[in-house]
Amino acid sequence: MMTDFWDKNDLPKGNTVLIEGPLRSGHKIDYDGNVVVMGDVNAGAEVRATGHIIIFGALRGMVHSGAQGDIHAKVLALMLFPTQLRIADHITCPPQGYEEIAGKAPEVAQITGGKVVIEQLIV
Amino acid sequence: MGEVIVITSGKGGVGKTTTTANLGTALAMMGKRTVLLDTDIGLRNLDVVMGLENRIVFNLVDVAENRCRLNQAMIKDKKLDTLSLIPAAQTRDKTAITEAQMEKIARTLKKDFDYVLIDCPAGIEQGFKNAVAGADRALVVTTPEISAVRDADRVIGLLEAAGLPHPEVIINRVRFDMVRRGEMMGIDDIIDILAVELIGIVADDEDIVISTNKGEPIAKNQLSAAGKSFRDVARRLAGENVPFQDVGGGRSLWRKVCAVFNR
Repeated sequence: MMTDFWDKNDLPKGNTVLIEGPLRSGHKIDYDGNVVVMGDVNAGAEVRATGHIIIFGALRGMVHSGAQGDIHAKVLALMLFPTQLRIADHITCPPQGYEEIAGKAPEVAQITGGKVVIEQLIV
Repeated sequence: MGEVIVITSGKGGVGKTTTTANLGTALAMMGKRTVLLDTDIGLRNLDVVMGLENRIVFNLVDVAENRCRLNQAMIKDKKLDTLSLIPAAQTRDKTAITEAQMEKIARTLKKDFDYVLIDCPAGIEQGFKNAVAGADRALVVTTPEISAVRDADRVIGLLEAAGLPHPEVIINRVRFDMVRRGEMMGIDDIIDILAVELIGIVADDEDIVISTNKGEPIAKNQLSAAGKSFRDVARRLAGENVPFQDVGGGRSLWRKVCAVFNR
């Protein structure tokens, strides 16, 4: 059923945490739910969430969304250039030559057809 | 009341001790009463760089353990009478003093001095914690290398956790020709990652090696570019607005180089 009004009682009781960035090398977030980071996630930092991960900044560190096996979990970043990106039990790292195109636009990573696919975020 | 400034980096060999010696010298040349505190217990170097090694009688650990008064451990600089040094102990280790003792020493020193510069050891263990304990302000030294920047980032996080939320960064050993050719990280790239204020850029300079070996900080050398860079940092520390020299070399170039090394 389509609706244009979501009452607070209709919405799922989600759990999302807001983290003020930047997350620096050595910082680690592990959360049961979704994580939103307002700022950069630098190389050496780790963000792990059972749900989605949204980085409002540059992602240079390690992220793991769907950490307990949720293959529908996404990773979204304004500049997506992680050291390593994991979704559920998929582990990936940026392909060679990726730095040439990284950071041109916000991107989203998700599992499509059994693979982690990274696409520009259409807004 | 003076200001206690810790000079730190995480990574070793990026120039903390050289920076401490030169900033101290430059501040003292400006007429500021300055004391340098070497907290690298067991691996002391600052006395050597200052050329004061042969004058050591008491050290920081002696002060902490009340074997001498603070001013007995203070060694006057050879030329500048506004500058002195409290050396580290060489025969002990980092656990020989505690954070509380360091805080007390720093508090006492800043009553009599305009600047207390603390030379922090490499690493993030007890030595780092001691060095940071009494500080009001932190300078992070890094070089244009990914490993040094990574460690600087880690240290900035730890400084923030220790209640020093706005560290300033000195980028040391920059090879401007390499930056221009896109073979070295540029200043913008580093500041982009670290997201903190830049307080100084120091060129890679052979003369620093010579002056360090002679025990004569290069800040005294009016002809040296690196000496001027350190004097500029000292003026910025004192609140003056000193423009940065133009470095050249943009971010896009560095990105291309990353691609060559395949990150």
